[in-house]
Amino acid sequence: MKLAYYPGCVAQASGKELDLSTRWVCKALGIELVEFPNFSCCGSGFMDEANEVLNVAVNARNLAIAERAGLDVLTICSTCQGMLTLANLRYSDPSIRAKVEGALRPIGIEYRGTAKVKHLLRVLVEDIGLPAVRAHVRRPLAGLRVGAFYGCHLLRPSDETGGEPGEDPRSFEGLLEALGAEPVYYRGRVMCCGFPIQFVKPETASRIAGKEIAEAKDHGADAMATPCPLCHLSLDAYQNHAERAVGRSLAMPVFHLPQVVGLALGATPEELGLSRHLVPTDAALAKIGSSARA
Amino acid sequence: MASSTISVPLEVYRFDRARDREPRYQRYTFDLAPHTPVLTALLKVRAEVDPTLTLRFSCRSSICGSCAMQINSKSRLACETPVGPEVERHGRIVVEPMRNQTVVRDLVVDQTPFWKQYEGIEPHLKPNPAHPMPEGRPNSMTPEQVDRFHDTPRCIACAACFSACPAVEADPAFPGPMALAKLYRFVVDPRDGGRQDRLVRIQTEGLWLCLRCHLCTDSCPKNVRPSERIRDLKEMAIRAQGATERGSRHAVGFKNNIRSRGTLNELKLVRQTFGLAGMVGQIGQGLRVWRKKPEITKRPPPIEGVEELSKIYEALDDAGGGR
Repeated sequence: MKLAYYPGCVAQASGKELDLSTRWVCKALGIELVEFPNFSCCGSGFMDEANEVLNVAVNARNLAIAERAGLDVLTICSTCQGMLTLANLRYSDPSIRAKVEGALRPIGIEYRGTAKVKHLLRVLVEDIGLPAVRAHVRRPLAGLRVGAFYGCHLLRPSDETGGEPGEDPRSFEGLLEALGAEPVYYRGRVMCCGFPIQFVKPETASRIAGKEIAEAKDHGADAMATPCPLCHLSLDAYQNHAERAVGRSLAMPVFHLPQVVGLALGATPEELGLSRHLVPTDAALAKIGSSARA
Repeated sequence: MASSTISVPLEVYRFDRARDREPRYQRYTFDLAPHTPVLTALLKVRAEVDPTLTLRFSCRSSICGSCAMQINSKSRLACETPVGPEVERHGRIVVEPMRNQTVVRDLVVDQTPFWKQYEGIEPHLKPNPAHPMPEGRPNSMTPEQVDRFHDTPRCIACAACFSACPAVEADPAFPGPMALAKLYRFVVDPRDGGRQDRLVRIQTEGLWLCLRCHLCTDSCPKNVRPSERIRDLKEMAIRAQGATERGSRHAVGFKNNIRSRGTLNELKLVRQTFGLAGMVGQIGQGLRVWRKKPEITKRPPPIEGVEELSKIYEALDDAGGGR
């Protein structure tokens, strides 16, 4: 399986561990990643707020790169996934398409609107398939209770993302089960992490993040896992602010999606960049270490 | 008859704020046809089991917007939610009052905050001297002008979006999806003279607290798509007034940030949004993150073909672009 790898900005900078673990997992599962040094940022939803047509054009340029190469796009970020999907959708609106084509044509770019965009979560569940993932598991995550945290843009608007029910998805939990972990169901798993207003009103953003982490904890989660590096920033890098906002200690390890997969497939913590997290993952690792010995 | 019915276990939230300290869930099980609306099931409880079950409803055909509640955690209308798919997916039907509003009794909530936010956006036409209302005949609009409303006139004020919204829950300064979708409806109305004032005011009155989580759009029974109209309001507000607030500075800063290198410069963005002085408050956290993730201070290398981006910006942004 060969895909156009769209890592997104965060995975190339503060979330480098997401890129590392994606590469490890894809190699282990035989997914070939084709890199395109001309991919740009997806605009992260912020560019869309400032200028919708520009945002579609910038992403149509990204999509055209994959279309030219005849490859589907692999994203590893819920927001990138949402923005590229949205661009494809908006591009089908004739008035927007005319403006975007008007900007792309003079620079020799044609986008026919055929590129498909898939998040790693969907590739693992739908294309590789859970039985094949299970067959690769070397260290089942038995005894580890994991709360999935999907990230809004992977799920909604659910009639546009073409995924699963936005208020009750099951794909991540199915994957966690295939890895031997015990998924934790809690309302917050489909909610917002607060990141979009982290720069607008940090105290509100932290209150939102704190509430969701606390809920996962109260439902018995040993760790959380997310397919979105922006959620990861909110839940991990800013967890100290979230703790202050909700007035309690949380100490919740938060994994990136390919990190939990990698752990089950036998990667070492170093190979997955776990030391780069702000909240230590040791307690969660100890749990699977002990169950692996048992 | 019996073979075409399924067993429907209902778990209904019961609470009377005048008498109870804690809510409780009461279980009722009926055999019902799968297409039976949840509302009909609740009315059956009231008619046959417990006449004290309290809920709001009226038209039973998704028009009045009275029977919004949480059904298996999703905010929606009880009259248009069939029991079959709920039982199939969840094994039972948990019925709870809407969120973000105080429960009065059982499934009835106090909607004061919802209506207060609605009144706050001044939901009425303000006469526009450039578009006077002619005496004696209805004021006409072109089809293109009508299209700009999208589906916002279809809103039935059921408050399902208000109930689903995490920004409403976290911050009373956020007007909520319905109020903002209504505001959009007046902002694009050519008969309304308050456009500029409305856009300027909303920038400081909660517009930028929208999380664009799209829970409102997913919960809306009328496909009003509040989150998408809130996006439109944001772009219109920036065009009307410029990026005056942290939220709009962040959006515009982000857009401009990508232009020169094609990839996000995280540190520069923080400076653009908070300003140099505001960055001082971020230093502690910045250092904490930097110890683990030293890349945050490095300038990312430009992407290949960054000059293509410049051309796209020239065509669609510098010239005023947009819709």
